[in-house]
Amino acid sequence: MANSNDKAKGNAKKGISRRNFLKGAAGVASAFAVGNQLGIGGIHNLARAQDYPALGNYPVTGDVVLGLNFPQTGPYSDEGADEFRAYQLAIKHLNGEGDGGMMNTMQPSALTGEGILGKKVTFVTGDTETNSAASRDSARRLIERDKAIMITGGSSSGVAIAVQGLCQEAKVLFMAALTHSNDTTGSDRKRYGFRYFFNTEMSGRALGGLLANEYGADRRAYHLTADYTWGWSQLRSMQEYTEQEGWTTENNILTPITTKDFSPQLTQVLNSDADTLVLNFYGQNMVDSLTQAVDFGMRERTVNGKDFQIVVPLYSRLMASGAKDNIEGIFGTMNWSYKLQDEGSQAFTNSFVEEYGTPPSQAAHTSYVQTLLYADACERAGTFYPPEVIRALEDHSVAGVGPGVCDYRGSDHQAFHDVLVVKGKPESARDDDNDLLEIVDQVDKSVLVYEDGAVDLPDRPGDLGPYGDEA
Amino acid sequence: MKFFTTDSDAREWVIMIVAGLFFLSLQWFLPLIGGYADLAKLMLVFAILVLGFDLFVGLTGYLSFGHAIFWGCGAYVAGFILANLTSNALVAILIAAVIVTIIAFLVGLITLRRQGIYFSILTLAFGEMFFFLAIAPLTKWTNGDNGYTGAEDVHINIFGWPLEHGNLYYFLVFMAVLCLFLARQIRRSPYGLMLRAIKSNETRLTYTGIDIFKYKVMAFTISGCFGAIAGALFLIHEKFVPVESLRWTTSGEVVIMAVIGGVGTLFGPMIGAGIVLYLENVLSGETGQWLLILGAIFMSFVIFLPGGVMDIPRRLMKLGRGNKQNGQSDQNGQGS
Amino acid sequence: MTLDQIILQLLTSLQLGAVFVLVALGLTLIFGTLGIANFAHGALYLIGAYVGLVISNSIGWPWALVIVPAILFLVGIIFDRVLLQFFYKRDVTDQILVTFGLALMVQETMRWIFGGTTQSFDVPRWARRRINLGDYIPGAESIYYPPSRLIMIGVAILAVVALFALLRYTKFGLMVRAGMRDPEMVRYLGIDSTRLFTIVVGLGAMFAGLAAVINGPVFGIDPGEGMLRLVPAFLVVVIGGMGSISGAVVAGLLLGFATTLTTASPFPQYSEVIVYFIAVVVLSIRPRGIFGMKGVG
Repeated sequence: MANSNDKAKGNAKKGISRRNFLKGAAGVASAFAVGNQLGIGGIHNLARAQDYPALGNYPVTGDVVLGLNFPQTGPYSDEGADEFRAYQLAIKHLNGEGDGGMMNTMQPSALTGEGILGKKVTFVTGDTETNSAASRDSARRLIERDKAIMITGGSSSGVAIAVQGLCQEAKVLFMAALTHSNDTTGSDRKRYGFRYFFNTEMSGRALGGLLANEYGADRRAYHLTADYTWGWSQLRSMQEYTEQEGWTTENNILTPITTKDFSPQLTQVLNSDADTLVLNFYGQNMVDSLTQAVDFGMRERTVNGKDFQIVVPLYSRLMASGAKDNIEGIFGTMNWSYKLQDEGSQAFTNSFVEEYGTPPSQAAHTSYVQTLLYADACERAGTFYPPEVIRALEDHSVAGVGPGVCDYRGSDHQAFHDVLVVKGKPESARDDDNDLLEIVDQVDKSVLVYEDGAVDLPDRPGDLGPYGDEA
Repeated sequence: MKFFTTDSDAREWVIMIVAGLFFLSLQWFLPLIGGYADLAKLMLVFAILVLGFDLFVGLTGYLSFGHAIFWGCGAYVAGFILANLTSNALVAILIAAVIVTIIAFLVGLITLRRQGIYFSILTLAFGEMFFFLAIAPLTKWTNGDNGYTGAEDVHINIFGWPLEHGNLYYFLVFMAVLCLFLARQIRRSPYGLMLRAIKSNETRLTYTGIDIFKYKVMAFTISGCFGAIAGALFLIHEKFVPVESLRWTTSGEVVIMAVIGGVGTLFGPMIGAGIVLYLENVLSGETGQWLLILGAIFMSFVIFLPGGVMDIPRRLMKLGRGNKQNGQSDQNGQGS
Repeated sequence: MTLDQIILQLLTSLQLGAVFVLVALGLTLIFGTLGIANFAHGALYLIGAYVGLVISNSIGWPWALVIVPAILFLVGIIFDRVLLQFFYKRDVTDQILVTFGLALMVQETMRWIFGGTTQSFDVPRWARRRINLGDYIPGAESIYYPPSRLIMIGVAILAVVALFALLRYTKFGLMVRAGMRDPEMVRYLGIDSTRLFTIVVGLGAMFAGLAAVINGPVFGIDPGEGMLRLVPAFLVVVIGGMGSISGAVVAGLLLGFATTLTTASPFPQYSEVIVYFIAVVVLSIRPRGIFGMKGVG
């Protein structure tokens, strides 16, 4: 769908947005009108610059309602609670309350501190229960009954993909929060879905070289993998990027995600020649498998003269705190950490701590950034009309929302930015309960960017689908 | 209640028209009480599933904890058909119904060899087997935990008539009325009478030399067919199948819906589906403890009002008459 | 395969079997005596686990091992007096429904109190220490096995032996066994069957609590755990034959070994399905289960 005409339009929009930004809040509306006439898509846009046809929940009457769809019950409710805190903070900042957080560091930014497009921002909430059926039901309610103009949230890829599909159909934007599967912006990508969070491909790229440096180039890895698409793609990228460094893959066991007792799988690992265990698990699976692996004495094990090592490709605070001191010295990747020293991360962390007394998790960060980026895109587009907001987000680059510059790739709606390799801290070295992981490496974006389509499932290439305003 | 059970064709038509109008009014009625129009669609779809459940459980007294199998398989099969074969909804529903009916027949053959508790547990086990198959080994086709999204971009239609928005709603109303009609016909038939006889005294009937196993399997199969139709309609409505569709939670929800509505009354369970979905989708926006509330409501019905919602008018009337035969019909106020 | 590897496989299978058996013991006891399929057995497990969590995170896990079964015995008695006794004579369907409803309510209450996230037990250091079984087994070299899992196997064996002894060598056991055979007869003999039933439900709950405390340190606890444990426990009971203790033991071990072997096979993703598959196969061939008595159900 992303033909050259669309791209040109997108570029034109970017020009406008810069102008808007310079003129500041006072002239947003008029600048938009003028800008449209100057832009390449001007003639086309002129006709409907003032009023676009109704689409999804556009036009917005009254306040701007954001639909926050996060887990309030179920296994990820703690992450959901942190997301909710971040959303409330972001909405506060958008409405000009509080210290403004990242609004002060985001570059470029069209945000005004007077809501979005002069309208006050409010929210409604839904409970995803970390269950794709429930998350769709609650998203539907947020869209139909509460007239949410944008849906955001989620703490698993299953939910993200389920809600994203619904949002595409309803023509309401979906700004995904925690979802790490390649599919979200790969095979299951949607025009109306955007993801700031990183994915399994990037985790593999970030970890491969570092693992070889730390543990040597001739390792025999045993993989245990959650048997669903996220697990498969995590396995694929870990295999690819460790084998590139000279590792061999001893074996892999696919494990149903409902597994609680990993002893049969771990028994297989112990009865093999492998000297490294890679746990391609998420959430409670990861906590259980890691804890049980440590219980089986794997940390003290030596195989063929090498110290046995465990690797966890994806970390989250929930997982790290669940696994307690078993994470000591174990490498993994993260999207973001409150310990990052760049301006944007610090601004966000400070106002979060100010507000809630605890530092934000990466789930909170992603939620906050996604909300601000959506608001900014509306300001730059000069309208809530979803197709224009989408075009404003596509191929947009922004600094000051985390380390380095973040690029939203237009062709698959995946954001590219620096990610972190982290290592579990020993209990004695921790400052407090939140201080679980230390940053080992900040991996540059350039290492992580992959070719669009490279991570799609072979039999199911992704397709963003229509904007919804095509003739 | 007498009106609902009288065996006259004219009354049957009146009931169908009233039911149809009631279903139609949901889309206007729901937004007034904090719901939304699309919730009505979900209610209609679930109503068909629970109707099928009641057709079996209400008539035979066997409590199935495995109806998620038919619902889930129906949805998956319809999804595969629509994604790969045709965009015609009727074809998808038909094929889903045929395939799932075969599954139901096979499952029935095995599970119905046991009675009472065993049957409940066996259906529960079967359901979990299907769930675990879908979530791990068959992920390639079902898309596992992510849910099946294959039919997302299909423009589902009936011979070119697009099945979206309003059209879909009217189609669902039509299907719900049709299923209710069929279910009532089955119950009125000699075959339904036989099933009710099985329920009242299975042992005695065995001595008459009638092969009751055959009747039970048939009832289970028909029930499965209703479940498959509901599942296929769910797919058409959602264009998505969550893997939880196959889990015991779905089967349990069906049981809860039927009990709240009133097992054995056919129309009651359909109302029960509406009540539960209303709580699930509206109450959950107000409180995180909605499941606890639902559980409490369910328990209250089981303990105090086993006849469900459909039993309330009778009870009220009895109360008005100054209840002479107190508690006599409380045994299991089903099959009114 | 070396001896070490074989022993490790055996231990893992035994431990999986032990988990199945422990949860199923109480279930089969209640069913055998009262004829009630207790869908709230998972809820009892859940209560045991959360009480155990509170106790072991305050005064230590070994205390929980003693206190929780005692508390659960009381919970079982209350459960029977307040709810279950009114359903002794109700329809089977009603029994299932009411215990199912209770299970739902307990699950949600626990979610309300403790949250939906998995909570882990504080385990004493000695249970976490790595020991080499190779030092104790002649011919073996190095088999590192977690003590917490050895405890699972040990407690399961003790529980089974104790239950056997109770049923075989005490007067109470005699009454229970008589009740299992012929409930009518027990009543004619003038035995207070109500009191007998209440104690049996208490015992069943006690075993659920014991299972929860033993599992806690290894698996942690979340509100979904109750139902998650209930379904396989039902399978163990029906495969073994409802009400048969030895049947439960055999069935539990069968499922334990099947899971381990499937994981080691080329189709490890079937490791959860295999349990249900076996149930279906066994019950198709022998509907009353391996040790089931003729005429039951």
